Amino acid sequence: MFKSVEDVIQQLSDQEYICDKQIATVVYLAQQLDKPVLIEGPAGVGKTELAKVVSRALGREMIRLQCYEGLDEAKALYEWEYSKQLLYTQILKDKVSETIAGSESLADAAERVGAEDSVFFSDRFIVPRPLMQAIAAKEPTLLLIDEIDKSDPEFEAFLLEILSDFQVTIPEIGTIRATSQPLVFLTSNDAREMSDALKRRCLHLWIDYPSEALEIEILNRKVPNIDKRLAEDVVQLMNRIRDLDLKKTPSISETLDWARALLALNADELEDQIVSDTLNVILKYEGDVQKAQNELSKLIEKKTAEAAAEKPQPVPTPAAAKKGILH
Amino acid sequence: MQQKVIEFTNLLRKSGIRVSVAEAIDAFNALDELSLDDREVFRDALRSAMVKRGDEIATYDELFDLFWSGFYDNLKGAFGEMEGELGEMGIDLEQLLSQLAEMLQDMDGDLDLGELAKALLTQDLSQLENLIRQAAEQAGTQRIENMLQVGFFSRRTTEQLGMEGAAQELEGLAERMRAQGMGDEAIAQMQELIRKLMETVRRAVRNYTERELQQQNHNYMEKFRREMLTEKSFYHLTEDEIARMREVVARLAQRIKNILSIRKKRLKRGKLDLHQTLRRNMARGGIPFEVVYKTRRKDRPKLVIMCDVSSSVANVSRFMLQFMYSLQEAFTKIRCYVFVAELGEVTDVFHDGDVSSAVEKALDGGDVINVYTRSNFGYAFHEFWKNHLSSVDNKTTVIILGDARNNYNDARAWCIRDIRNKAKNLVWLNPESPSAWGFGDSVMDRYMPYCDVVEECRNLRQLSKVVDQIVL
Repeated sequence: MFKSVEDVIQQLSDQEYICDKQIATVVYLAQQLDKPVLIEGPAGVGKTELAKVVSRALGREMIRLQCYEGLDEAKALYEWEYSKQLLYTQILKDKVSETIAGSESLADAAERVGAEDSVFFSDRFIVPRPLMQAIAAKEPTLLLIDEIDKSDPEFEAFLLEILSDFQVTIPEIGTIRATSQPLVFLTSNDAREMSDALKRRCLHLWIDYPSEALEIEILNRKVPNIDKRLAEDVVQLMNRIRDLDLKKTPSISETLDWARALLALNADELEDQIVSDTLNVILKYEGDVQKAQNELSKLIEKKTAEAAAEKPQPVPTPAAAKKGILH
Repeated sequence: MQQKVIEFTNLLRKSGIRVSVAEAIDAFNALDELSLDDREVFRDALRSAMVKRGDEIATYDELFDLFWSGFYDNLKGAFGEMEGELGEMGIDLEQLLSQLAEMLQDMDGDLDLGELAKALLTQDLSQLENLIRQAAEQAGTQRIENMLQVGFFSRRTTEQLGMEGAAQELEGLAERMRAQGMGDEAIAQMQELIRKLMETVRRAVRNYTERELQQQNHNYMEKFRREMLTEKSFYHLTEDEIARMREVVARLAQRIKNILSIRKKRLKRGKLDLHQTLRRNMARGGIPFEVVYKTRRKDRPKLVIMCDVSSSVANVSRFMLQFMYSLQEAFTKIRCYVFVAELGEVTDVFHDGDVSSAVEKALDGGDVINVYTRSNFGYAFHEFWKNHLSSVDNKTTVIILGDARNNYNDARAWCIRDIRNKAKNLVWLNPESPSAWGFGDSVMDRYMPYCDVVEECRNLRQLSKVVDQIVL
């Protein structure tokens, strides 16, 4: 359990997830009010990650439902296992004949089989899908409904019902009610506007690209070996790139990938060559790469000019001194 | 507090953010769970409960600052200032007030002070804020519309507030103090204090009224901006409006895409597909547990767009092209031609991906035609007839965009007739109003008999209506 907004920040940070007050407030409220959270924002800013981290921080099992076009109740809630039922009827053939042995008419036989049908429509033959798993779980869980915008509007309507009641009615068995309400996170990439009805039931969280300071902190935390100055340069550059009019704007996950790539290549500062070599880590379209390249060479030129201006003072930085020893 | 949150909710609604009652209740519940000392937390809590669309967040933040940036803080500032000014005159406000408080206690009972006077003497600013708020409401300040009314509403608010009465009560208090044998100096100080207090309150009321005006203006501007853009004629757009219009077009296109995806789904259910059903159920000995239906495929239209890119209709062409290319997946193929007098194909320009820059390139003639000539529709259509007629077949919808102002050249309407005969549909969009068609050098009336649809298309609303018809 989170005790306060500050506590959320602390606990998530223990799980290596740096978040700002806005995120923490909403997470805390979701727990206190038992309300689902709809998380929106550009791709790669850590929407899914947030759910994972919260589940770890709370020690709840995370059940994930990945949405896609054509997802229906059978795949999301539960399904009868036809083949298994069929197999059982085959195997139990003798038993069935025994049951109907001595029946006087067809109607009587059907009656007798009918009396036994609970055998074939029981928990044994149900395949629980994520939604039902979350509801039927003994321990409180965290249900992550990922990329809800990819699902169809009909599925959204069906989801509404589940989210308001947290119970499933299976005609043959009965109603299963959640013993403890799961914490629900829904994520959306804004491919499609969600219906007002769904939005009304959820708390809304908009995660945007982080501020520069926050991103540096994230970078330092997630890629611990990175040089402080390099981290700053990387983040600064990323922010410049985000301002460009790109087809796919890079987000935090790309920043991390890039930092790791630079680290793997033993780069300790951003040089023109190494940047253009690794640009395809952060940009996924040829057109974008070209656009960024122009911008970057400008920036790096400026940087080197600045560095040159600083140079006259021959104060050796600790890093430089160390290098001197090494060589 | 509750009252203020409700007021804030109303403000949001007026500015076009839809907040349902359930959401407002959520907001209250959320506030119960939090300590409210942290402004940021307070803002985020209200936002997560009430604002659910990414594009409304900016508006929300603006309004939040306007509404909550605390008239209270302002009041506090004003009183701090007053204290400073008094201090310069050698009056210690705190000392004076504590003296007054003592005396008031002695006189307890036989003194009848109004609420305002009490609040002023005890420097109870939150009470004062409440009083001003109530008075402003009674004075009808929420109906304020422009700068000129600030004075009027401020005056009405001060009247409602009972400033006169409070001033008299305080004067009376000073008189009594004199009667009790206070020194002249102290009385003078007291009178100075009263004067200052009144002045500060008056200024605070004016400030409150101005804020209210700002809020109302914000609502008004937002609504106005939104309505204006869809109704505004393409002929008169500023750079800034073009940029915003692009966003609106993108949103409209997205909406149509959503509708399309639902349509497609409905078409999916067709006849039983025996072949697939048997194949799918082989695992169960051919017993059909799962039934598969044949899907009917809807023909996606092919599109040929011919855009007049002469300066008079460039804006219409711009949004038309952006619209169509945002909807690319709704069509099997789009071919795009631009003309002024010459006609050239610019389909390739759009292969690069970025729609808006491609549109600009196409409007510039796309390196294939000269755009700095006088319009000649007849010549352009003849060119198309000669060289590109093969791109039209019986699944193609041809869209022609132009004002049909032909500079008295030969109209060659028979080209349009031939194109129409080959195509599935021919749609003509004209940015001029129908009353002007066929007058002066307009040859619209010559082309009209061969068009399936002729629509006036001078603003975004009309454009989206036409696109709806073509796509759905």
